[in-house]
Amino acid sequence: MMVNIADHTVPVTVLTGYLGAGKTTLLNRILTHEHGKKVAVIVNEFGEVGIDNQLVIDADEEIFEMNNGCICCTVRGDLIRIIGNLMRRRDKFDHLVIETTGLADPAPVIQTFFVDEDMQAQLNLDAVVTVVDAKRIHQHWEADEAQEQIAFADVILLNKTDLVSEANLKTLENRIRAMNAMAKIYRTQDAAVAMDSILGVSAFDLNRALEIDPNFLGEDTHEHDQTVSSVALTASGAIDGERLNGWLAHLLQTQGSDIFRMKGILSIAGEDRRFVFQGVHMLFDGRADRPWKTHETRKNELVFIGRNLDEVKLKEDFRACLV
Amino acid sequence: MPSLSQPRLDLQWRGTLSDYVTAIVWSANGEQVAVCSAAGEIQCLNVITQHLVQVQRASGQSVDTLDFSHDSQFLAAGGQDGSLYIWQMTSATPQLLTRLPHSTWMEHLLWHPHRLELAFSLGRYAQIWDAQTQQVSTTLPFASSTVLDLAWHPQRDYLAVAGDQSVKIWNLEDKDADPDVRELPTASIRVAWSADGNYLASGNLDRSLVVWPWDLPFPWRMTGFPGKVRQLAWSTVPVGTAPLLAAASTTGILTWQKQEQGDQDWTAQVLDWHQQQVNAIAFQPGTALLASASADGYICLWQQGHKRVQSCKGSASGLSCLAWQPNGSTLAVGDQRGEWQLWSPSQRGQGFS
Repeated sequence: MMVNIADHTVPVTVLTGYLGAGKTTLLNRILTHEHGKKVAVIVNEFGEVGIDNQLVIDADEEIFEMNNGCICCTVRGDLIRIIGNLMRRRDKFDHLVIETTGLADPAPVIQTFFVDEDMQAQLNLDAVVTVVDAKRIHQHWEADEAQEQIAFADVILLNKTDLVSEANLKTLENRIRAMNAMAKIYRTQDAAVAMDSILGVSAFDLNRALEIDPNFLGEDTHEHDQTVSSVALTASGAIDGERLNGWLAHLLQTQGSDIFRMKGILSIAGEDRRFVFQGVHMLFDGRADRPWKTHETRKNELVFIGRNLDEVKLKEDFRACLV
Repeated sequence: MPSLSQPRLDLQWRGTLSDYVTAIVWSANGEQVAVCSAAGEIQCLNVITQHLVQVQRASGQSVDTLDFSHDSQFLAAGGQDGSLYIWQMTSATPQLLTRLPHSTWMEHLLWHPHRLELAFSLGRYAQIWDAQTQQVSTTLPFASSTVLDLAWHPQRDYLAVAGDQSVKIWNLEDKDADPDVRELPTASIRVAWSADGNYLASGNLDRSLVVWPWDLPFPWRMTGFPGKVRQLAWSTVPVGTAPLLAAASTTGILTWQKQEQGDQDWTAQVLDWHQQQVNAIAFQPGTALLASASADGYICLWQQGHKRVQSCKGSASGLSCLAWQPNGSTLAVGDQRGEWQLWSPSQRGQGFS
């Protein structure tokens, strides 16, 4: 399956975060910034969306299970219905923002964009932006939703930094980095962030380079005191395509519900081009990318974000795929 | 055999709305055809007098569903402003009879096939409005999800309501009884009774098609469609032992025919000609001629549900909907930019078969 990134598709930003973290403040900043553009906003409770002339639609989060409860086949039925309806307009909209409730797992929203044929054809998921209340997140660490919202994020706003000490912020940042090594983290007050940090991110575009925080790669030991973590695998040399296929298929079959997201760039033996891929739970999207350049070092980089990941075993199994 | 280059239908009339034509419907007596758009307009043409009326002006809020009552007296409409509108259509100027405001989008409505009762969807409920009392007479809780489609049984007092995980069939002669629940492993997005009332078909989100005998919960199931099964149509006449069923999924149409022998077997035929998504299909009343309309603007006619006898470009912007006049003589189509057209048999050609 391919995430369509043709020019005429409408970008979509997904906003997640706990109630009171600052989602509505950020939403209003986006709407102010996009003044003059048509922005459609799908919310789950009418908050104080303060901009007139924008299309604000109140939706019930309706989870549709496509395949006997298989986690990767859960999609947001309300989004399919509402967006299908909205996309009929000639002057559609320039940008769609979907705000989830504080207690929502972001996976079904993301999966809807991978699975539904109409959403794939007409929209492109730009980024999942998670707003974290730097002061109150500690009360929610144990909640699955809080962990999932961080794990699925492409951009994380560490908001309300004025209410927390620098030392606490640093600790919090490290903890979040250990959970999600791919997300960009920004410290904010009142959700004030440069708009180009959260819009036009193209986080689900396979053409975009895989970015792993170099600090994360540099460390030998990470904090693995939490259940949700990131594992980055890097190796030079070439991968045996068949072995890799077998490994990933087995991994997603057995641990797909615990693997939230993954991304990678691979050097497959016998192939002139890079192989790039991404995944959300069991949904996998990969293809041959540009050719390796003559003086470029061929290498392999993969990142997994998930729950109860066995870093040692992942590394071992990955190394076994090297030629 | 007619050649493909000589169309059997010719363009006879065209009208314009300002945005995507969301629905097109004929009155049961075949005298009026009504269209509505994503900009909120509703127009109605009397094909006898050629008198065109603007039933509702553009409001910026889409009208998504439209239907004439069985006696052609009333036109009902619903859409994004949440209101149910009903007009009396018997005089030259439509009279707005009632407006019932609601806060959620009204996406489906359908008049009873032989009574002045209107079923409509309202979030997770279906309701029935009675034209005699001008009141909502019945509220049916689908409950498990938003209502995704509705269909009245053509003869019996049954309303089928589609949604996630099931199609529920309410027997309205016994309004307190629980509905008959036809379970599904997915969401039903389109539901249709055959005209003889013997079969109920459900087009599903998981790329499958399910058909139940009207009175039994054991379905025939067909999987492996290229996309969601988004449109269904039954022929009004039998082909063999049962009406022919057509289902549209991405660029393809599949026709399903019940076999003479045995209870189990249906044979499928794939109609593979359209280059872009098939947005509407309908059998000509009284025959097994299937009309299809696609997102690249082509209209296609398929004899006996499989032999392509005409294909022509109807619109530069892509077609969104179509409907046959009840006597089968005129085909109405709407496009994605607001144009709508009437096509009838060419004077020089022969009639339909």
